[in-house]
Amino acid sequence: MAAFESLWEELAPLVAKAERPSRYINGEWGCVYKPEADFRLCMVYPDTYELGQANQALRILVNRVNACEGMAAERGFLPAADMCDALREAGLPLCSIESCAPLRAFDAVGITLPHELAATNILEALDLAGIPLHSADRGEDDPFVIGGGPCAFNPEPYAPFFDAFNVGEGEEMLPEGLGLIRALRRQGAARPEVLRALAALPGWYVPSLYEVLDEDAAQQAGSWLSPLAEGVPPVVVKQVYGGFADSPAWEPCIVPYAEVVHDRLNVEVLRGCARGCRFCQAGMMYRPVRERSADNIVESVMEGLAATGYDEVSLTSLSSTDHSQIAEILARLNERLAGTGVRISLPSQRLDAFGVDMAGLVAGQKKGGLTFAPEAGTQRLRDAINKNVTEEDLFGAIDAAFAAGWRRCKLYFMIGLPTETDEDVKGIASLVSRAYDRARKAVPPDQKGSVQISASVALFVPKAQTPFQWDGQISPAEAARRVSLLRRSVKYKAVTVNWHEPKTSLIEAVMSRCGREGAKLVEEAWRRGARFDAWTEHFDEQAWADAAQAVGIDLEAAAQRSLPSSYVMPWSHISCGASSEWLAAERARAAEGRLTDDCTFGPCSSCGICFDLPVRNQLAAPRGKGGAR
Amino acid sequence: MSDPRLFRLRATFIEQGRLALLSHLEVAHTLERTVRRAGLPYAVSQGFSPHMKIAFGAALPVGVGSTCEIFDLQLTEYVALDAALQALQKASAADLMVQDCRYIEPRAAAASVAFPFSTYRVECADPVEEVQVPASVTVVRKKKPKELLVADYLAEPFAVDGCGATFTLEAKPTGSLRPDVLCGCCEFGSPVVSITRIAQHA
Repeated sequence: MAAFESLWEELAPLVAKAERPSRYINGEWGCVYKPEADFRLCMVYPDTYELGQANQALRILVNRVNACEGMAAERGFLPAADMCDALREAGLPLCSIESCAPLRAFDAVGITLPHELAATNILEALDLAGIPLHSADRGEDDPFVIGGGPCAFNPEPYAPFFDAFNVGEGEEMLPEGLGLIRALRRQGAARPEVLRALAALPGWYVPSLYEVLDEDAAQQAGSWLSPLAEGVPPVVVKQVYGGFADSPAWEPCIVPYAEVVHDRLNVEVLRGCARGCRFCQAGMMYRPVRERSADNIVESVMEGLAATGYDEVSLTSLSSTDHSQIAEILARLNERLAGTGVRISLPSQRLDAFGVDMAGLVAGQKKGGLTFAPEAGTQRLRDAINKNVTEEDLFGAIDAAFAAGWRRCKLYFMIGLPTETDEDVKGIASLVSRAYDRARKAVPPDQKGSVQISASVALFVPKAQTPFQWDGQISPAEAARRVSLLRRSVKYKAVTVNWHEPKTSLIEAVMSRCGREGAKLVEEAWRRGARFDAWTEHFDEQAWADAAQAVGIDLEAAAQRSLPSSYVMPWSHISCGASSEWLAAERARAAEGRLTDDCTFGPCSSCGICFDLPVRNQLAAPRGKGGAR
Repeated sequence: MSDPRLFRLRATFIEQGRLALLSHLEVAHTLERTVRRAGLPYAVSQGFSPHMKIAFGAALPVGVGSTCEIFDLQLTEYVALDAALQALQKASAADLMVQDCRYIEPRAAAASVAFPFSTYRVECADPVEEVQVPASVTVVRKKKPKELLVADYLAEPFAVDGCGATFTLEAKPTGSLRPDVLCGCCEFGSPVVSITRIAQHA
């Protein structure tokens, strides 16, 4: 094993010359250092410090592991491109932040898989760390490399690079697994033995312990994977942190020196969303819905602000304005924070007048822009995707927002959604044009010129574990045609349509839905120079195209393939709790334009979460008051 | 700008070790957070975008340390000096530690202009015999090269002492010569290990 020692003296000259030294210097307020530990995890975010430092998974899991006696967790980030190159040139390995120790000297390395465009960064990080890229090539002295996060719900394109994955919420699962590794290593257990033991733990998926079947055999067998040993489960079910609602909403955090994304106190007010948008992976992954109480949240915000010194707090979740006590929470926080200059922010706005009321409670005098996501332009398509929002909701929100003083509004849409027609595309233009009319009507005559409405359009990416997982993406040429149709259909010059060339959306679609063959593609793309794929200035389309050709994958075909709902997907051995039958039924309802209820407001939709998992929806109060949908 | 009902606290702090690598903006953000963590009754500006009434001294280049940085903070209530210092110290990182604080007149000059002279200590790896200082230094400002005459800025010449030297630069209303840039153009006969601001004066 590499020696666990600080390489700061060697690194310091490189850091001094780096683009932003503060990414690498450690010692931030609130960081924990446990040199006495005998078992060490390095939790890695596979992108730069400013993107990863605020990551909630990293923060929670580092805290959880540090809370275990004898175990330490440190942070690791992929250095920026200039520093990656400088490290290689100097022959220095990737090091943790706290101890500045080489990653390969840790007992375990955890890597969160935040989105589909981080795959090559994982290889870049492993390579810089000097850890063999493939699980199969790792020896007794190498760390256990563990993945988790959203992309662990289709872990196959990452499978060869990881020893194990955590499926679901890691609060309890990760410390449990690490404890097992530690205990077995103390007894002198060899690596294969440890992996077999991990595979028996709930939520732990060890990809090397399965045989991968070919397509025909998989469709016959109902799964692409077949366990190779006894005690290895045929299906790995996601883990849910049952204690979430009652645990303190103040999750101790590090206050960075460098400016990072989401650089504020983030307080998670609820987890999960049961609205059931049929394209949304988060909605399926984080079910059931669990709310923390108003008392818990208000006290946690005050405690967190005092401990960190932040001047802004964000009440985070997938849909914070759905919290049953949100109005009370905001009113109490406004009172407690009056005169301190501390701002409150809500990351997403519910699309109705209630959402605007809540935004008004936190905006103060400064009303920048509001953002809403109708997602589709016609009621038919909104019903098909189960967005459950009407034109009246949107126009009610616009009226309320512009009357309350906002002058800018951004509307998010997707194109290429399953069943979309040209009428739906033109419907986006019609909707934003009418929204503009409404907004102008809601403001005083002398301010009509300052009204700004814009539409941001993204390309639909089919996501694993959603009702639309079987649906293909439209081709880049078709996407361009539809956007052009949309642009031509907008009747006001004042309404802008923002559309980013979706070169990366193709890769996202492929990575989201491919099986283990995708790992070869990732590795080949990385070998051809792909890294930082989520960064416009770094994305190397050619590297991916060449890699696809080299490994024999047709990217467009893989992204655009639509399959029958009976088709067994490459991740069928991973269960997010929502059953495959329910996902297929939801897809069928989409085709019929039928809505499905949100079970936190209405009746159960039988997704299956509550049947398989020991957790139910936990609401702090009944939902619906003051803003029932 | 000074509200006579407010109390103006001037604090000095060090910036050393790895934290010498912070930018001026990063230090500023950190100090605002330090003040909030300290729980001091800081004043908040009125208006559209309320913010803490805090002002910072002359910027220190990235990589240059200091034993004598300054910030001015306006308080809405009087806090005993030792209590204020204790609260700030408890909320500060070791390498960005507040050393001292005192109240100043509401009309006293701002920290950024009150001390145009800065004395720096440059440490080298080996004993320094003499320092060869160039007559001029070329810097890039707004993408254009500009020649600065060292004599215009060097208020006190390099005084050699052991493994290093001490010198004083004057900040002019029209601009300044950065100590790290100047040292980069000088010959010490030994590699520069560190540069530290050791005094700011009028």
